Amino acid sequence: MSALPMIPLAVGANRIVRGVRVEHVCGDPALSEEMDRALTRRIVQTALGALQTQVDGPTLFEPSEGVAQKEAVHAS
Amino acid sequence: MGKISVVHYINQFFGGIGGEEHANEPVQVSDGPVGPGRALQQALGADAEITATIIAGDNYFVEEVGLASKAALEALRRHAPQVIVAGPAFDAGRYGLACAQMCRLAQDAGIPAVTAMTSDNTGVITYGADIVAVPSGSSPAEMQSIMAKLAGIAVKMGSGGELGPADGEGYLPRGIRKPLVREKSGAIRAVDMMEARLMGDSFTSEVFIKQYDVVQPSDALGSLKEKTIALVTSGGMVPRGNPDRLSNARAEGAFRYDIEGVRELTVEGWESVHGGFNTRWLNTKDPGYALPLRAVRELEEEGAIGKIHNTYYATTGNQTAVTAAKRMGGEIGRELLNQHVDAVLLVAT
Repeated sequence: MSALPMIPLAVGANRIVRGVRVEHVCGDPALSEEMDRALTRRIVQTALGALQTQVDGPTLFEPSEGVAQKEAVHAS
Repeated sequence: MGKISVVHYINQFFGGIGGEEHANEPVQVSDGPVGPGRALQQALGADAEITATIIAGDNYFVEEVGLASKAALEALRRHAPQVIVAGPAFDAGRYGLACAQMCRLAQDAGIPAVTAMTSDNTGVITYGADIVAVPSGSSPAEMQSIMAKLAGIAVKMGSGGELGPADGEGYLPRGIRKPLVREKSGAIRAVDMMEARLMGDSFTSEVFIKQYDVVQPSDALGSLKEKTIALVTSGGMVPRGNPDRLSNARAEGAFRYDIEGVRELTVEGWESVHGGFNTRWLNTKDPGYALPLRAVRELEEEGAIGKIHNTYYATTGNQTAVTAAKRMGGEIGRELLNQHVDAVLLVAT
C-alpha cells in the first residue's frame, strides 16, 4: 500500500495498492470519521483482493468501490 | 622505457590443470603466459610482457582466503609487476570472486589491477566498488576481444596513467564520482537533454539509476478465511516513547511489536518517528493511517481473513539504503515464513 505507486512499480513490487498520501497512506483526515474509516477499509480490502489475484509482474490495484463490494476477486 | 611487467591470474581450468575435480588446487606460479595468457600477451603487444602467471583452484582461492592470499602476495613480491590482469572469469561465480579478490590483494599491495567478467558475476556484486572490471559476456568465445580491452586498460594503468570514467574506458561503474568542470552549466545540460528527449535523439543521463531485482510474484491466495496475515510498516510506527529507539532516517533494522488483542492503534499509545514526512496526522489523529489495524481487525472479526499475526514489524523508510532494505526484508520474510504467516500487508511511506 503506497501513496507513491510509481516507486514500487519501478522497483518491481508485484502487488501494489494506491494509497492516499504519504502522510496518511490508508485514509484521509479531510473526510468525516465515518467516510475515513470506510476508505481505510476499502484500501485494505483492495489489498486483500490483490493477494487473491494472479499477477505476472508489478501490478497496481486501485481501491475502487467495486473491489470493496466483492467478497473475493477470483483468481483464474 | 622498458616493457611494462604484467602478472596474470587464472584458475585451474584455464591454467590447464583440470576441471572441477581440481578446484581445490593451491596457488602455483608459472613463468610467462599460460593458456589465455597467450591471447593477452598478443593483445599487449610490444608494450608489456607477462612475466608470470598465478594459477589457483576456484574453491581454494575463495575458501582458503588466508593461505591463498599469502601465496599470491608472495608471488607478487617475487615478480614485482607493474599491473595485474585477472581472468576473464566470464560468468563463473567462484572464479569471478577469486579474480576480484586477486585485484583487491594487488591493489592493497600498491599494484593496479584489472579483471573482466559478466556484470552480474558474484565478483562484481561483492566487490564491484573496489575493482576495475571490464564487462564480458558469458562465453569464452569472446576471449580475444575481452583480452584486447583488458590489455588497453592494463597498459594504461601499468604505465602509471590514471583511468578516466567507467563509461569512456569501458569498465563497470564503481559508483565513484569525481568533481570536474563541465563546459556547460547543469541548467543548460538539463535543457539539452530535455530537447534531445522531445526530439527523439539519444542522450546520456548524468544520474545513475540503480537496476533493481526482478521478484517473481507469488501465486494468488485462494480464500483468506483460514489465512494468517501480518502487518508491516515503513512508517516508523512504534509504541509512544519509542522504546527501541527506532531511528527517524537511514534505519538499519526493523522492530517487532505485540498487537495480540489490540483493536486499534491510538495516538495515546503509539507514534510515528518517521523523519521524512510530516507525521502530524499519524501522531494527532490516527496512527492507523500507517498501520490499518482497526480495519484489518474488523475483517478478521467478520471472518474475511483467518487471523492477524500477533506481531507487527516497523521500520523507518527514509533514506534507507537498498542493501539495508533488502536485508531487513529478507529477515522479516524469513521470520514470518517460520511463523506460518501466509501474506503481508505492507504500508510503504
